[in-house]
Amino acid sequence: MTRRELIQGTGKGFAGLALAGMSQAQTNALAKAKNIIYIFNHGGVSHVDTFDPKPILTKQNGSTLPPSFAAGLVTARIDFRKAIMRGSPWEFPRYGSSGLQFSSLFPHLGKHADKLAVIRSCYGDAFDHAPAMFLSCTGSQFPGRPSIGSWAVYGLGSENKNLPSYVVMSDGAMKSGAGAYGAGYLPATHQGTMFRAGQNPVLNLATPAGVSSEAQKETLSLVNDLNRRHYASREDDSTLDARIKAYELAFRMQSEAPGAVDLTSETPATRQLYGLDEPMTADFGRKCLLARRMVERGVRFVQLFFGTNLGDDWDSAHDDLLGSHQKMAKKSDQPIAALLTDLHARGLLDSTLVVWNSEFGRTPLAEGKNGRDHHPYGYSMWMAGAGIKGGRALGATDEFGLRAVEQPKSIHDVNATILRLMGIDHLKLTWRYQGRDQRLTDVHGENEFTQWLLG
Amino acid sequence: MRLIHWFFAGAALAFADSNTDGVAVLASKCQQCHNQQMQMGGVRLSSTADLTTHRDRVLTAIAYTGKVKMPPIGKLSAEDSKLLSTWVAAGATFPTGGPATAKAPTWWAFQAPVRPVGANIDHLIKVKLQEKGLKPAAPADKLTLIRRATFDLHGLPPSKPEIEAFLNDSGSDAYSKLVDKLLGSPRYGEKWGKHWLDLARYGDTSGFEQDPYLLYSWRYRDYVVKSFNDDKPYDRFIKETIAGDELFPEEPEAQQGTGFYTVGTNRDLLYKQEKENRVETLTDFTDTTAGVFLGLTVGCARCHDHKFDPIPQRDYYRLQAVFMPHVKTRVFLHYNGARGYDLNENTRTFRLQELGTQMMALLDPHRKALREATLVTRSPEVALAFHTPDDEKTPEQKKITDQFQKEVEPTDAQVFAVLSKDEQGRLDGIEKKLVAMFKNFQPGPFAPGLTDLSRESPRSFMPPKGGSDGEEVFAGYPTALGGGDISPAPLTAETSHRRKGLAEWIASSDNPLTSRVMVNRIWQYYFGRGLVATSSDFGTRATASNRELLDWLATEFVAQKWSFKAMHRLILNSETYRQSSKPSLKALEIDPDNTLVSYFTRRRLEAEEVRDSILAASGALNLKMGGRPVVPTLATEELYGMSQPLNNAWIVTEDLREHDRRTIYMIARRNFRMPLLEAFDQPEGVLSCSRRDSSTTAPQSLSLLNGRFTLAQAAGLAGKLATEADPVTVAWQRLFGRNPDTFEAERMNKFVAQQTQLLGSKQAALTELARGLFNLNEFLYVE
Repeated sequence: MTRRELIQGTGKGFAGLALAGMSQAQTNALAKAKNIIYIFNHGGVSHVDTFDPKPILTKQNGSTLPPSFAAGLVTARIDFRKAIMRGSPWEFPRYGSSGLQFSSLFPHLGKHADKLAVIRSCYGDAFDHAPAMFLSCTGSQFPGRPSIGSWAVYGLGSENKNLPSYVVMSDGAMKSGAGAYGAGYLPATHQGTMFRAGQNPVLNLATPAGVSSEAQKETLSLVNDLNRRHYASREDDSTLDARIKAYELAFRMQSEAPGAVDLTSETPATRQLYGLDEPMTADFGRKCLLARRMVERGVRFVQLFFGTNLGDDWDSAHDDLLGSHQKMAKKSDQPIAALLTDLHARGLLDSTLVVWNSEFGRTPLAEGKNGRDHHPYGYSMWMAGAGIKGGRALGATDEFGLRAVEQPKSIHDVNATILRLMGIDHLKLTWRYQGRDQRLTDVHGENEFTQWLLG
Repeated sequence: MRLIHWFFAGAALAFADSNTDGVAVLASKCQQCHNQQMQMGGVRLSSTADLTTHRDRVLTAIAYTGKVKMPPIGKLSAEDSKLLSTWVAAGATFPTGGPATAKAPTWWAFQAPVRPVGANIDHLIKVKLQEKGLKPAAPADKLTLIRRATFDLHGLPPSKPEIEAFLNDSGSDAYSKLVDKLLGSPRYGEKWGKHWLDLARYGDTSGFEQDPYLLYSWRYRDYVVKSFNDDKPYDRFIKETIAGDELFPEEPEAQQGTGFYTVGTNRDLLYKQEKENRVETLTDFTDTTAGVFLGLTVGCARCHDHKFDPIPQRDYYRLQAVFMPHVKTRVFLHYNGARGYDLNENTRTFRLQELGTQMMALLDPHRKALREATLVTRSPEVALAFHTPDDEKTPEQKKITDQFQKEVEPTDAQVFAVLSKDEQGRLDGIEKKLVAMFKNFQPGPFAPGLTDLSRESPRSFMPPKGGSDGEEVFAGYPTALGGGDISPAPLTAETSHRRKGLAEWIASSDNPLTSRVMVNRIWQYYFGRGLVATSSDFGTRATASNRELLDWLATEFVAQKWSFKAMHRLILNSETYRQSSKPSLKALEIDPDNTLVSYFTRRRLEAEEVRDSILAASGALNLKMGGRPVVPTLATEELYGMSQPLNNAWIVTEDLREHDRRTIYMIARRNFRMPLLEAFDQPEGVLSCSRRDSSTTAPQSLSLLNGRFTLAQAAGLAGKLATEADPVTVAWQRLFGRNPDTFEAERMNKFVAQQTQLLGSKQAALTELARGLFNLNEFLYVE
């Protein structure tokens, strides 16, 4: 950072930079979302078993696709010309007064059907996890580009100086690695900060073992005194002052962050709502509850990666559709429903956008005896909150659930829409890199659907 | 050789009638991109007929009212706009002598550098300063200078004896001797090699889900370090990088340069990605080559004509065609050794397959018996589930086997326990054979590299347009820089010679960009920003803060036979470099970015320097050079989120002394950076990085304050202080190369006393002292 950037308050890590981004790009008066909770389902959720009912698969269970439908589709393991159709093992009840139809995997979410806007016509072109995750999260199949959370906090800045503005929680290993929440070529302060389990959510937040808090205070005070003396003869350089302040911020973070993740102050009713005392829902319930607490504290962007390649994952659907989807739904249904209930009850849902997405769907065709393969050509997601009119579904895949055919929406369209809901024009939120004013949506995003969502 | 030859239209130089002014505007503002050779956006403006055809488009575009605004880099002045529009509206008649058919490039960076006569760095800096009424800052003191120069050339602090020797040398050449000494040390290649590795998006793994190892990337890293230490001339380095295989077929050492093209991210090991990977690879090669060597952002022209620079889309595919016939290869560093390695590997694999079979035959019956013994104690459903082949299991059976897998599947220890004495002996025998197979084992003498499959190349096409096939294109040079196709290789050649053509063209002293781009990078690494701030973009939106100096340095670099060390000597010995970092009030006011360099810009240590300096201060630093990447111990929480199981992805190096080596030798995983380095802005190594961030964040402070590494090194330093009579003074000297003043000494002594009381031992207090000092700005900044 140069001195000028600092003097002008446009230095990295300062609200000024975000303001610069915001004044350029923040244009939409319709925007109501101040915060976002983005639930990213890691591994690939089967759309035809969740939000995109296709009864024909049951009717024609066991037969192959008409050749014209199979042509041109490629995925990781199966051959679209040879594999057989598989009907969904789940029912698709109609929920709420809207009668929105989705599968019986999500009974708790069913109570919020009238809040959900389902998009049934998402499509992409990457059928391997990592490229598809990068595509969803950064707009490019290759790593190295800023994630949507980084763009959002670059554009909007932070509301809480003692906590990171972009918080990430995961179940552990992710197939994309950290690239899915990285800052790419944006300043590093905009990258997602991984919150871990336990009292000290941020890496190195805890005072080292064997050092008492008094001793830590003494050491910080030594650092502060000697840094201030050093600064006294260099007051023209505000980067030095910024670093002194960074230690103060680190200290405040040390005091505030443990409180932010301390759930003991939550009522028994809240604990029960999120399923914190049930083994199946405790883990994701805790993360959903933490997400609400982050939003309450002004954390701009919270992203939950649900599923891990070294444990429970949607991707176990390769050889066990039933088991994987039952388990993952069971782990997350009640917590997500609780999150919507809780945000609503606290009056936060109107200003919080909740997004539920996955890197791709799964093949309507069978993989082996019990599975489904990766399927990016048509899949589903949903959004709620932030003034979105729920109980509705946008777009459609073809009769077999293969390709998005009605109102097809690329991930760029989705990302443009998310930014717009946060008040950012995706065309104007840019960063000069390699000679171009780069955007999250690259040269795409022309089919955003904000107007439809807001009804 | 096809170099830059410009077509000057005689007529353009000698206009004499009333049309002259409009034509002059056309020539200087439009025809660089819209001429006979280059028709950006499909528009040619070379003749009256062209201008008649495009009359309305031109008038709207220069009015800046429609969607298309021209020139793209900024609206014409009112005067120029009027001249041009009047002339166009009046019928666009060219003066006698005919229309201008082409134009010399008007963009300064595409013209040959002009060498200011009798100039030097300080002179050219002072001219600019005087224009603004600024004066250079006072000279820095000697201690500041040795610390600055040592960090800039070595990425490490100077040692106490080095400082003392320099301070005690009162000779007038003490400083220039110091510079020479620093340039002669192998630490120099480790520091400057790292700059290059940032540009080369270097990594030891290839990214994506599996993040597999690039097993021999480190040879490229070592090649780069050695090249800098040997002061390999930059033109030679370019040739080795782009076409080492074609230009130096007898020199495997030189061919290692082509590793530049293989140490980046790739999807080589992902399933069914071969086609996409090829496209991405070609894109990466094209963009990285143009950006790193020429400062051209050709990536913009992949999908359409460049919006700002005179780079038509066609040029993108002509440049990409250079790499069309490429294949990744292994450079044999020692031919016989490489062949021998492969033969041994071949036998070894056959033997492994045999020993593996023996092992399975020995152990599997026991494994099965143990499994069955457990299963008989379980319900029939469980037994049935385990007895059903995997692909026939029902979902319920799958669930059962998942649930009981751990209980039912015997561990290795359980299996070993039931072996008979004879079987035990046979297993021991197998083990011994396995061990013997790796006697004298060394990594193979291979380096990653690039070559062509053959002289013939697949054909190159522009992307299809409007349903029809794209036009075929041929490998060649950017039109705006002279253009022309690369000559085909002789019929007997084994490769296409396309990269040879490109390498020779880039490495030519006539190329207006090559030397400018590199000297600008060098300048940036010293002064925090380049004379052109966008150091990988010399396109039409780039401005030079001191073009005369840039051009002088560029021509000097060529005159000095492309020697990096010569440039370092010039810069380091200049008064400009030796200024103090104390700006004048006026400088802060009128040149707050210090673009004119009226003082030395203080800089924060880079990630590697932070880690290396701490190791140096604690005395742990191990200066061993080169070799396979080191995987140091990290805390479990630091390794959180690794995309692969740790026993595959973080195979810790056995020898702990290795963990204290310089950071350049630590493993560079594409999917995972060491948290301390990440916090201090180490680039991801995915895209070419021309300038690092220097952020100031709270997580950075937390990492340096509370991190495992700091604590361990603080304890190490405290151990060294234990026997000192005046530990606080010694600690201060080790970190800052000077004695503490009274305030500092008193503050530290007070601290040690307090902490001794709080923590119960002086040793613990000294550890705390060291931990605190590692966090001081004086430690983290170079003045």
